[in-house]
Amino acid sequence: MAKKALSVKRDVPFPLHDVNILSASDEELKSISSEMGLSLSLDEMKVIVDYFRKEGRNPTDVELESLGQAWSEHCCYKSSKNILKKFVFSVKHPNVLSRGDAGVMVFDEDHGYALRIESHNHPSAIEPYGGAATGIGGILRDIVCMGAQPVGLGDPLCFGLIDRKGELPPGTKHPRYLLSGVVSGIRDYGNRVGVPTITGGFFFDERYTTNCLVNVGALGIVRKDELTNNFAGGPGETMILIGGRTGRDGIHGVTFASADLTSTSDEDSRGAVQLGDPITKEPIIHACLEVNRLGLITGMKDLGGGGLSCVVGEMALSAGECGADVHLEKVPLKEEGLAPWEIWVSESQERMMVTCKPENTEKILEIFELWDVLATPVAVTTDIPRTKVYWHGTKVLDMDTEFLTGGPAYDRPYVSPKVSGKEDEVFPEIPSAGEAIPALLSDLNVASREWAIRQYDFEVRGSTALGPMVGKMNAAGPGDASIIMPVPGSFRGLAATIGCNPWFTEADPYNGAMSSVEEALRGLVSVGARPDAITNCLNFGNPEKPDRLGVFREAVRGLGDICRALEIPIPSGNVSLYNEGSEGGGVLPTPMIMATGIIEDTRKAVSADFKDPGSRVYLVGSTKDEMGGSLLFRKYGGRGGAVPKADPAVFKRISEKLLSAMDRRLVRSCHDCSDGGAAVAIAEMCLSGRVGAEIDVPRDAEESIWLYSESNTRWIVEIKESSAKEFEGIMGGDARMIGRTGGDFLAIAGARIPVSGLYESWSRPLWNVMGGAA
Amino acid sequence: MKAEDVKVCVIRIEGTNCEDEMYQAFKMVGASPELVHLKQLAGKAPGHAKRHLEDYDILAFPGGFSAGDYVRAGAIFAARIKSDIGTELKRFVESEKPVLGVCNGFQTLVELGLLPAFEGVMSETPTAALSTNDSGRFECRPTYLRNDNRGKCIFTSEMKKGQIVMFPLAHAEGKLLSEDPRFVEKLEENDQVAFRYVGPGGAKAVYPWNPNGSPSDIAGICNPAGNVLGMMPHPERVLTRYTHQDWTRNGQPEEGDGMMVFRSVMKKLTK
Repeated sequence: MAKKALSVKRDVPFPLHDVNILSASDEELKSISSEMGLSLSLDEMKVIVDYFRKEGRNPTDVELESLGQAWSEHCCYKSSKNILKKFVFSVKHPNVLSRGDAGVMVFDEDHGYALRIESHNHPSAIEPYGGAATGIGGILRDIVCMGAQPVGLGDPLCFGLIDRKGELPPGTKHPRYLLSGVVSGIRDYGNRVGVPTITGGFFFDERYTTNCLVNVGALGIVRKDELTNNFAGGPGETMILIGGRTGRDGIHGVTFASADLTSTSDEDSRGAVQLGDPITKEPIIHACLEVNRLGLITGMKDLGGGGLSCVVGEMALSAGECGADVHLEKVPLKEEGLAPWEIWVSESQERMMVTCKPENTEKILEIFELWDVLATPVAVTTDIPRTKVYWHGTKVLDMDTEFLTGGPAYDRPYVSPKVSGKEDEVFPEIPSAGEAIPALLSDLNVASREWAIRQYDFEVRGSTALGPMVGKMNAAGPGDASIIMPVPGSFRGLAATIGCNPWFTEADPYNGAMSSVEEALRGLVSVGARPDAITNCLNFGNPEKPDRLGVFREAVRGLGDICRALEIPIPSGNVSLYNEGSEGGGVLPTPMIMATGIIEDTRKAVSADFKDPGSRVYLVGSTKDEMGGSLLFRKYGGRGGAVPKADPAVFKRISEKLLSAMDRRLVRSCHDCSDGGAAVAIAEMCLSGRVGAEIDVPRDAEESIWLYSESNTRWIVEIKESSAKEFEGIMGGDARMIGRTGGDFLAIAGARIPVSGLYESWSRPLWNVMGGAA
Repeated sequence: MKAEDVKVCVIRIEGTNCEDEMYQAFKMVGASPELVHLKQLAGKAPGHAKRHLEDYDILAFPGGFSAGDYVRAGAIFAARIKSDIGTELKRFVESEKPVLGVCNGFQTLVELGLLPAFEGVMSETPTAALSTNDSGRFECRPTYLRNDNRGKCIFTSEMKKGQIVMFPLAHAEGKLLSEDPRFVEKLEENDQVAFRYVGPGGAKAVYPWNPNGSPSDIAGICNPAGNVLGMMPHPERVLTRYTHQDWTRNGQPEEGDGMMVFRSVMKKLTK
């Protein structure tokens, strides 16, 4: 084996090797990278050779492993960094308080709110329960290390078809099994740490079969004067490792996340999946927030990808050219016998690092002691920018901190994608509205998520004003965005929702990504909240394939363009590449957007369920012939077609008017038009309010397009007769009356569908596949 | 006693996670709540952080997953309390100071033997259990509850007999079971039934209105003296109407239904 020949065991009483890279051939460098599981390319290995040539020695295994972590796609964004810089980093906004491990935006005069979403895709494909649970744990640490109390979770998930029949590709687990495991993992972790799961989503498509996507988002609330840094205050400070013990679980998690899954990933990479423990996490949250509130710490950062190897250097470097001396033998272990490199890169869960002035160390340890949380000083910051790691006095790593944490950046080759348009459209044969509407409601991508939602505690913390389901108690329908009131005693609300349309993005990455953002912002407006920020998790394929990178590039360009035009900042984000699956087909390009909005007075919030009979029903916005990627096309075999475009100026104009009408309490209910278009939106409002409606398709519209087009910037609203004049005065030509509520039927386009039937069609499908009943 | 002199101990350990809203509930009725870790009461904290249970007027057990609930819900928390402050707790209850347990707090009170407590204030071993929901799943949903107490429970004194309120719940183990064949009858005889699940308009509750299959639709019980209440639904989650699930549909009063529980006990202590 190459590694044996090229690495020499040091004469010390513990595992430590010097790896002979200085005299290695190209072939040998490649095999060192693969034998050690570093996932570094030959070019990257050569840069490392150059560095150690200047140091005048070969690296240790600890040093090479450390570089493998820090230079992984997951840690240093080497393929995406330049593209993000070009298109989205230029979106500036004065309300951004921090762009740390989580973004932080202004909430009110005294508070900020933190937001972030990230992926936990590959671990969840191998071990859905543990993968999803640790995903929640990781995102909560990102919120906590801003000094923020977590107040909400959002979990959008993408799977293959859960009712899939027939053989699965080798090494692939059935989507139904994955969904069940992931939901259980989120439930058992989220519920135990006491953070409400308020938003999320399911996206089902065959192309997620071999590579499911598990994205986890979180929100937090922080007093502005308690906002923390994710780095040390300067040299001479103590670094205290908080929380769980370190073990062999989660070794090489980031390199595993930065390569394609294969049919043998299950066997090869099981050890890369970490084990979460919410009952270690819960007191860590309390204690970390307490030491921060008391002003005892200078910085806080979570141990995620790369473990200690990433957190130590990053906390020291950002402190202003500092370094750190680390005493690895002090790290509390799960078991004896770990090699220094294993301790250094392990991604064992439930760990945080805080930095403090030495005089505060004892006070900090006392607080963690009360919560029975381990807290151990393991390092000190120094005034030279080098990271040095010792094992019982023997130096096992000594490197320039910037070289160690910086990582390369690439402009990889890409080809621009071919975009779907009207000219190649094939409009499918579709049944009557009476048949199509219930069928669309029953589609797995539309049907009720109650099976999952009620397993999540969406009301813990007692601040959930609008939950994920709205309408009649125990028979509720889908909401557009949730609202929490994160500051006790204040009615100021924080709204959150998820937007993503992978089908649009596949057909037209630029417009699809824009539409994904618009959908999320539209959902916020539906409940009366003013869009404030987005965070995103960009799930794409292998960036080393030029066509995949071209799709990614176009989607990022779309994100940047719409956010810049609408002045919506993106204070945090995450990129997950190499979502190819074991068959190499690649997942649908999935720019998952979590959007947040502010509603000044939650008491004015609007929900999506029809309230009363006899109200007027309006369509706000205009419907265009944009059937590309639509649910109708997917259901009935349509092909091609133009994907909905987003027009920021129109969105701005119409949403301002609608928000103003809501502020004047003129709007009884409001629901945005997305999957399945206006027809499905109206049907959902009927079924959640148990109120029928009579709708007239405008004579000047082409019926099937008016019913099912998924054009952006559209809402269905219910207005009381007595408010109609004032509402029309505000909306002008941007709202058009289309009918009235009332009765027990939805009458539309010649169909007359009982509301109870709509509810049945919508509410049953997931229960039928997953088991159980409402 | 003045309201602000009423000291409330909201007890917590790792995994209790509804203490902030419990704290807020007592704050809203003017009391002086404090979040207190069990170790602070057990003398296992530094001097400035030490607390004594006897200094408090109300003890509240919040919901959550105390110690992870990896064995029977509430069992680990109860065992720690018994060994750390068992005597002080018994004295607290004997002196008829109010004790409230919600959700995991209810489970803990049952594990402690403070409920149903047919004989003595604190039985040596648990005599009832909150068993797995009939659905086999965690259930997060709103419920209608009817106040069935005839006047003994000090946490429902401000509610009319038969009054229906909406409290949400969220649990996987909420089905109140006992080996005692006369369990429900005894509860009735002693006026220990506080809340029953009902359907809309007060109809008999069938699933999901009785979300866990609890016999006789029992959602909350008090001890024979009426000073200890345990319940699965969460009154502290509905302190204003704006966290009632269907508030956008109905014209409920501004104050949330849950406030009545906290007002009731404060009325008794401050009169």
